[in-house]
Amino acid sequence: MKSNPEKEETFVPFHLPFGPQHPASGHFYGSVKVDGEEVVELEPYPGYLHRGLEKLMEYRTHIQNSVLVDRICVLEPFSNEMGYVNVVEKIAGIEAPERAQSIRTIMAELGRILSHITWIAIVSLALGLDSGARIALGDREGILRLNEVATGGRIYPCYFIPGGVRRDLPEGFEEKTLEELDYLKSQLNLYDSLIFRNETFVTRMSGVGIFNAKEAIALGATGPNLRGCGVESDVRKDEPYAAYPRVNFRVMTMKEGDAYSRVLCRRGEIAESISILRQLLQDTPKGKFRIKMTTRTPKGNAYFCCEAARGELCFHMVSDGTDKPYRVKVRGPSFSHTLSEFPYLARGAQIADIPAIYWSLDPCPPDMDR
Amino acid sequence: MSEEIISSLKSEFADSILKVFLEDKKILVTVKKEGFYDVLSSLKGMGFDHLSDVTCIDYIKEQEFEIFYHLWAHKKKLRVSVKVRIPRDSSSIRSVTDLWTGAQIHERENHEMFGVNFPGNPDLSPLFLEDWEEIPPLRKDFDTRKFVRRKYYGEE
Repeated sequence: MKSNPEKEETFVPFHLPFGPQHPASGHFYGSVKVDGEEVVELEPYPGYLHRGLEKLMEYRTHIQNSVLVDRICVLEPFSNEMGYVNVVEKIAGIEAPERAQSIRTIMAELGRILSHITWIAIVSLALGLDSGARIALGDREGILRLNEVATGGRIYPCYFIPGGVRRDLPEGFEEKTLEELDYLKSQLNLYDSLIFRNETFVTRMSGVGIFNAKEAIALGATGPNLRGCGVESDVRKDEPYAAYPRVNFRVMTMKEGDAYSRVLCRRGEIAESISILRQLLQDTPKGKFRIKMTTRTPKGNAYFCCEAARGELCFHMVSDGTDKPYRVKVRGPSFSHTLSEFPYLARGAQIADIPAIYWSLDPCPPDMDR
Repeated sequence: MSEEIISSLKSEFADSILKVFLEDKKILVTVKKEGFYDVLSSLKGMGFDHLSDVTCIDYIKEQEFEIFYHLWAHKKKLRVSVKVRIPRDSSSIRSVTDLWTGAQIHERENHEMFGVNFPGNPDLSPLFLEDWEEIPPLRKDFDTRKFVRRKYYGEE
């Protein structure tokens, strides 16, 4: 078709809002500048869940903060607790007992499955596969009940504290968890046929939102988003913490770097987490589950990274010798995913691909805003 | 491998590096403001391709900001933290966006929360806060509780 010079002169770019209504994007707003069906630019406007957590922590003691960090990401509180208690222990110069490390790892892996299953629900909802969302949210309930049995809380467990965990695992927890894992393992086949091998899903996910390993690393990608480009990077393997040195697992990687490979990485990680949990539940070390920590921490600086479901989660803490931190910085994985990778991948995409690209990155707005 | 990096940094940047040592499998480099960019770009060349985070700390007693660059090398599996101090008034430090594209958004956040200027960063517009007229909120002289009492309860 010949281009019409008159028409080009009068062309005004149209700004299409993506979000911030929850079902579309989570609490995140992206202003999409479009030319016809094509996205020219996407400008992110975060801040809908900004609570100033880093500042709030400066006013609270270490024990109070271990409850506050749950709120950083609603979907996987255990990873945030894991990062926080470890950074405090690093500054205080103590180490949690072996049993506590093992319990923490068990809960963190349950949290990873919880987060990935919730993501399955949201991603299928975003692509119009309503039944997938209902089934996945139903399966999420089983893990939430396990959370309640072990910690007393369903969504916000407030379970890890510097020096160990708040209470020991209740009797019968191992059996209940193993039963739940067997059920989830069988459900994975259902997810495969219903969602991951669904023709609509595959067509909409493959070949969109592609970046290669070099671009992904430059943009700050971590976790399944980076592993989707073939980079074998996992903090659990690279700098093992808690009980991870004792378990065997594979790091899931895919080569293509498109939205579908990121999806498959997460699907594979659920199976790996189930295998990690089975290994840990078989021999949980006996002994103390908590040691005492002094309320004051010595002066110092510590940086600790752990692998959250979404990627690298780091805490930087500065202590000035009091019982409160002088400064805490939280490096949430979603910060880079949403604010630096998403606008990059959206450029040049079709409008209809925006939800597929966005949810393939699995962003968590509360973790991004803090 | 970390010893090699430490010794090569020491010999190459003898003037600008104040301190460099290994702490818990992680290299910690303290560097003067003048040479910080060269040190970072040399580290980038050594394979530290992932900028994990940029942290700013407000040392109000010393009237200084401390800025940490946390780096990770995917191939070497090593972590390096580079810290640099800048004066609190007229705080400004060269952007590292040209080394790591992902630095753009970290610098933008620090600009908003601390008021540190990053010349060379293409976009330092407000990120999280809407219509913010107070001093940058993560500075130590900003009191959250006083602000809430004044803003929402009308107390002075």
